[in-house]
Amino acid sequence: MLKALTLEFFKLRRSWIFTMITLFIGVEFLWASLSVSIVLSRHPDSNGWETLLVTVASMNSLFLPILAAIVSSRICDMEHKGDTWKLVLPTSLKLNQIYAAKYGCSCILMLYAALLQTLAITCYGITKGLPPPVPFAWFPTFIIGTMVTSMAILAVQQWVSLSLKNQAFALSLGMVGGFLGLTGDLFPSAVNRIFIWSYYTKLSPVTFHFTDNSAHYIKQTLSLSTLTAVICVTIIFYLVGNLHLSRQEM
Amino acid sequence: MNAVVTTQKLTKHYEGICRVKELDLQVYEGEIYGFLGPNGAGKSTNLKMLLGLVKPSAGKIAIFGKDFQQNRTYVLQHTGSLIESPSYYGHLTGLENLRIMQRLRDVPDKNITEVLKIVRLEQQKHKKVAHYSLGMKQRLGIAMALLAFPKLLILDEPTNGLDPGGIEEIRELIKSLPGQYGITVLLSSHLLAEIEQMATSVGIISNGQLLFQGRKDTLQEKSKNYIFLRTGNNEWAQNLLQQKGYHPVKYKEQLRLANLTDEEIARINKTLVQANLDVIRIEEYHKSLEDIFLELTRKENNLC
Repeated sequence: MLKALTLEFFKLRRSWIFTMITLFIGVEFLWASLSVSIVLSRHPDSNGWETLLVTVASMNSLFLPILAAIVSSRICDMEHKGDTWKLVLPTSLKLNQIYAAKYGCSCILMLYAALLQTLAITCYGITKGLPPPVPFAWFPTFIIGTMVTSMAILAVQQWVSLSLKNQAFALSLGMVGGFLGLTGDLFPSAVNRIFIWSYYTKLSPVTFHFTDNSAHYIKQTLSLSTLTAVICVTIIFYLVGNLHLSRQEM
Repeated sequence: MNAVVTTQKLTKHYEGICRVKELDLQVYEGEIYGFLGPNGAGKSTNLKMLLGLVKPSAGKIAIFGKDFQQNRTYVLQHTGSLIESPSYYGHLTGLENLRIMQRLRDVPDKNITEVLKIVRLEQQKHKKVAHYSLGMKQRLGIAMALLAFPKLLILDEPTNGLDPGGIEEIRELIKSLPGQYGITVLLSSHLLAEIEQMATSVGIISNGQLLFQGRKDTLQEKSKNYIFLRTGNNEWAQNLLQQKGYHPVKYKEQLRLANLTDEEIARINKTLVQANLDVIRIEEYHKSLEDIFLELTRKENNLC
């Protein structure tokens, strides 16, 4: 299994994927930091760290589904482009091992994005002089929440990217996911619960509610039931995708 | 001789259409088995089934004497393949593509050096495969198939996209594989000349059915010479020749006689002239392998 995973990273040589993720997160964070700066200049009494985390988590709902779609597409499309299934499958590797390796590879890349964000949040907070201490205790929740949501999205994206040769569909799905993630909270809760792209804010250590025309930040711990539900959805999409692909003939 | 590949009633249906019908293939150790058939005959489907890329609708596959389904890993470890067009990671170099196969096959570095030398890609190994010509990609595909120096090499149209010089080189390479490395080769082609020059055994497939299988010499034995005779009165000539012990068959405006020596032809001519029959034309017709192939494949139009 480790061999298959390292092989996926080997195949990503020259694809500049880490640079692309860094730039993508850079743009997102630039947008988030500008937004936070505006909020803090208008409301100097607001808690800077909460504002920062809530803003990044909200931005993640828009950016990370698109990033997950791009990452998954890059990893899967190289097999379609070079017609390499008939090269790789008649070896000792099985399709489900390759499927798992690709999924593992995209999860590691998304973890890199989440860690990069955490580092950026810390650096921004310190350089901007947000009131100490740095809320390190929130970071594991932030990373776990981000990763669990990204993993669910990746399970869907990988299924689509490997099943369909035309990656335009997978990328469009990522964009639709970003839109639904961003606007998910505007839908009734019964509806937005099914939008896996909107869980970045639901699983964030801080969230906010609009009451009396102002935003109130609420600290939250990871809800075990929400986490379990998202993980179950991830497992279902992963297994269905794997099964669907294994039934296709190369 | 041990059978390396054996299939029993191998069948494949696609959406109700029968692509391969009850194929009983026998490839023996050390052979170069030429799988010949027109485009769409079911060659690639059959080869893909042998590699587990396509699931058979019915039938059994045994490779190296072992059931394929139950010994998939063992079989694939000892089988190299190049199916249809070459597969590659275009953004990687030729060497990096071979490194991927090296990791998948667990083979030493020296194998890479050797296969690069065999397919003459040493100078281009650091070039991205996306920038390779079709012929170079084909060579890389062969190199990847050969990398582990497998016991069985399955090549689907291996000379596609190669220039005449390249075809000659690959042909010589394939011919040398059984002797030099002990590799059994199963190759497919729609080009008779290619199979004729490389294969020791031949399987002819059309519309998914195996029409002939055996040594190339056996097939060549079928390429008889015919003598076509045209006289002033073919009916009378036929009767006369039958009385003399020959077996002329009426064929259009002529009489056809098979496997005659020069002396017999001279004797027949003399007999006809002495009987006051005008001998208008005596023609020799050599039935080539191509004729046999076309004859066999044209017969089979209805399947399943």
